[in-house]
Amino acid sequence: MAIECSYYLEDLDTRELPRRFLEAFAAILSHSNYAPLLDAASRAGLRCSRCAVTCPVYQASGDRRDIPCHRSALLLEVYRRYFTLRGNLSARFGYPFVLTEEHINTMAEEFYRCTACRRCKKECPFGIDHALITRLGRWILAEIGITPKALVVATREQLEGDTHNTSAIPAAAMKDTCEFLEEDCADEHGLKIEFPVDAEGSEYVFFPAVSDYLLEPDTLMGNAAVMKATGGSWTIGSKNFDGINYGLFYSDRMLGRIVSAEVDELRRLGGKKILIGECGHASRSAKAFVPTFGGNEPPPVVNIMEYTYDQWKAGKLKLKPGVIEERVTYHDPCNIARSGWITEQPREILRHICADFVEMTPNRQDNYCCGGGGGTVSIDEIRKFRTTVGGRRKADQIRATGAKICVAPCANCKKQVAEVCEDNGLDVRVCGLHDLILKAIDAPDFMKTNGSAPESPESAEADTSTEDA
Amino acid sequence: MDAWIALARGPMFRVALAACLLGLAYHLVNTLWMIIQSHRRSTDKELSLGTVLAATLGSLLPLRRRRPLQTIAGLAFHAGILLVPLFYVGHVTLWQPHLPVPWPTLGPTVSDALSLAALAGLAAVLMWRLLVRTSRELTTTADVTVLLLLLAVTASGYWAAHPTASPAAPRAMLLIHLLTANLALFLTPLTKIVHCVLAPFNQLVSEVAWHFPAESGAHVAIALGKENDPV
Repeated sequence: MAIECSYYLEDLDTRELPRRFLEAFAAILSHSNYAPLLDAASRAGLRCSRCAVTCPVYQASGDRRDIPCHRSALLLEVYRRYFTLRGNLSARFGYPFVLTEEHINTMAEEFYRCTACRRCKKECPFGIDHALITRLGRWILAEIGITPKALVVATREQLEGDTHNTSAIPAAAMKDTCEFLEEDCADEHGLKIEFPVDAEGSEYVFFPAVSDYLLEPDTLMGNAAVMKATGGSWTIGSKNFDGINYGLFYSDRMLGRIVSAEVDELRRLGGKKILIGECGHASRSAKAFVPTFGGNEPPPVVNIMEYTYDQWKAGKLKLKPGVIEERVTYHDPCNIARSGWITEQPREILRHICADFVEMTPNRQDNYCCGGGGGTVSIDEIRKFRTTVGGRRKADQIRATGAKICVAPCANCKKQVAEVCEDNGLDVRVCGLHDLILKAIDAPDFMKTNGSAPESPESAEADTSTEDA
Repeated sequence: MDAWIALARGPMFRVALAACLLGLAYHLVNTLWMIIQSHRRSTDKELSLGTVLAATLGSLLPLRRRRPLQTIAGLAFHAGILLVPLFYVGHVTLWQPHLPVPWPTLGPTVSDALSLAALAGLAAVLMWRLLVRTSRELTTTADVTVLLLLLAVTASGYWAAHPTASPAAPRAMLLIHLLTANLALFLTPLTKIVHCVLAPFNQLVSEVAWHFPAESGAHVAIALGKENDPV
C-alpha cells in the first residue's frame, strides 16, 4: 500500500516499511535518551484521558485520534511489542499486535495532527510528555522518509541549499530588503534605523525567522529601531540569517545541524550572543539546544523581547504610554510561554503603550496553542484543519476579548492566527510586539530624520567628551 | 475455612508480598539506572531540578486540575488504597512482630472513613471509565480488571472488619479479602499499578529525555547507513 496522509510527501520508498521503521526505532533508542521515557510510559501509562480536556485540537474535533494518550499509545504499542522482554514473550503466546504499513500510516497521519503545544503534559496525572513521544515518532518516521514535504524541502534548503535559509532568500536580496526597510522607516515613521550586516565583533548576532524579511517588515523595523535607540551592538550574518529550526518538530538530527550552523555563524562573526527575533520555536530551539549542540563554551541566547524589555526597564528605551488606542490582546506562543520563560515582559510593555489592553483566557503558561504549532503552520494543504479545528479555541479566545489587534510575537503564530481570524470571520489585525513598539517609541533626536543630532548614542558621547576636553 | 485463611494470611501473603516488593524494586532500580545512564550521555547536563520538583508535586497533588470531581475521586481512592493497607491496625499486626520498631497505625474509625472514601472513589473512576466517551474509548480490559480487583479488595476488607454489615459469612468475606489482596500484591509489579513507585520520577524522566546527546543524530545516521545522504 502507499502511505496516504493529509499532507504532501516527497517520493517515498515503500519497500519493507515496517522493517525499516523498526530499524530506525532501534537505532534511535540506542543512541538517544528516549528509552526511559518510553519505558516508564509503557509500564505505567494510565490512559485515563485526562489529557483530552486540555488539548485544543481534541476539544474542537472530538475525535479519538486527537487524545494525546491515544496518540502516544500508537508508538508505545510498537515499543512494547518489539523492544521489551514482555512484548517478545507475549508475541510467542499469541499477542496479536504486529507492526504493519497500516499502523505506520496511522502514526504518520496522527502525529501531524498534534501541534506539540505540550499543554497535555500539565494535566497528565502521570506527567507523561506526550509531545515528546509524538516528536520521537516523527523522527522515526523521518528516517524512513515520511515527513511533510513542506518541512523537508525547507530544511534541505537551510542545511544544503545555496541560500542556507528556509525561504531561499539570497543574501543579496536580504541586504536589499534591509536597505528598503531603512528607507521605508525613514519615510513612514521618520526614524533612522540600520541593519548592520557582517559587522564583526558585535555583541549580538541576529537570527529572526527568515520569513520576517518577506512578510513582517514592521516587526523588523521595530527590532532595528530598538537596537538603534539603545545603541545595541548587533549584526545580521550574510551566511546564515534564519532562526527557523524545523528540526525541533521532527528530527534531533536536523535540530542539531541547524543549531550548530547558527553557532558557526556567530563564531565566524566573532559575536558574543545569539539574538533571536520574534519567533517562539526559533527561540526555544536555540535557548534549549545551543548548550547541547553549540560546542565548547556555547553562547548565551537572548530573545529580542527580553532585550527590549531589559533596555526599557534600564531607561535606555523610551516608550510613549497609551499611544495604541485600539483594543489589543496578546497571544502567548507556546514555545516561549509554556515553560514560563517569556510571559510578563511583553505584557508589561503592552500595558504601557496600549490604552486598552485585554487578556485572553487562559493565558501565559496555560495558554492555548494557535493551532499551527509543531511545524503544521507551514503545511498549507492542511490549512482547513489548522484553522477550523486546531485553531478554533484560539478563534474563540480572540473573539471573546473584542480586540482589534492581536499581538503574536512569533512568525509561525502570526501566520496561523491571521489565517485563523480570516477563516473564522474575525476582523482582527495580527502583528508582532515590535510592530507596536515602532509606533510607540519615543525616539531620541539622533534617530529622527528631521533631527540634527549625532548619529548614535556612542557618537553623541564621543562628541560630548571632545567638548569637555 | 480456617486452614485456608491461615494459608492466605501466612505463606501466600509472604509470597505475594515478596513478589510485590522484589518486582517494585526491580522497576525502581531499572528506571533510576536508565535515568542515570541517560543523564551521563547528555551533552548539556544542567537539569532544571526545581522545575522538575514543582511539576512532580503538581502531578502527585493535583490541586489545580480540571475535572474537579474526577480529581477528588482519584485522590480519595488513592489515599484509601495506600494508607489503609499500610497502616490499618488489623493489617499491622501481620508484620509488627517481625519488626524491631513500632509501625504507625490508623485506628478503625479513620480506616473505615478512608475505606469508604476509597470505595466511592473507585466506583466513580470505574463509572468514568465505562460511561464517559473519551475515557471509555481508551479503556482496556486490563484497566477495568485492575479497578474491579481493587474494588473487591477494599469492599471485602471493609466487610471483613464489619461482620454485621457483611453480605456473606464473615469468615468467607475475610478469605475473599485475603485472596484478592494477595492477588493485587502479586500483580502490582506486572500491571499499571507499578506507577505507585514510578510516578514520582516521571517528570525527571521527561526532563532527562529532552537533554539530547549531541552526537545522537550522527550516530543514528551512521547506524542506518545514511551519513552521506542528503536531507
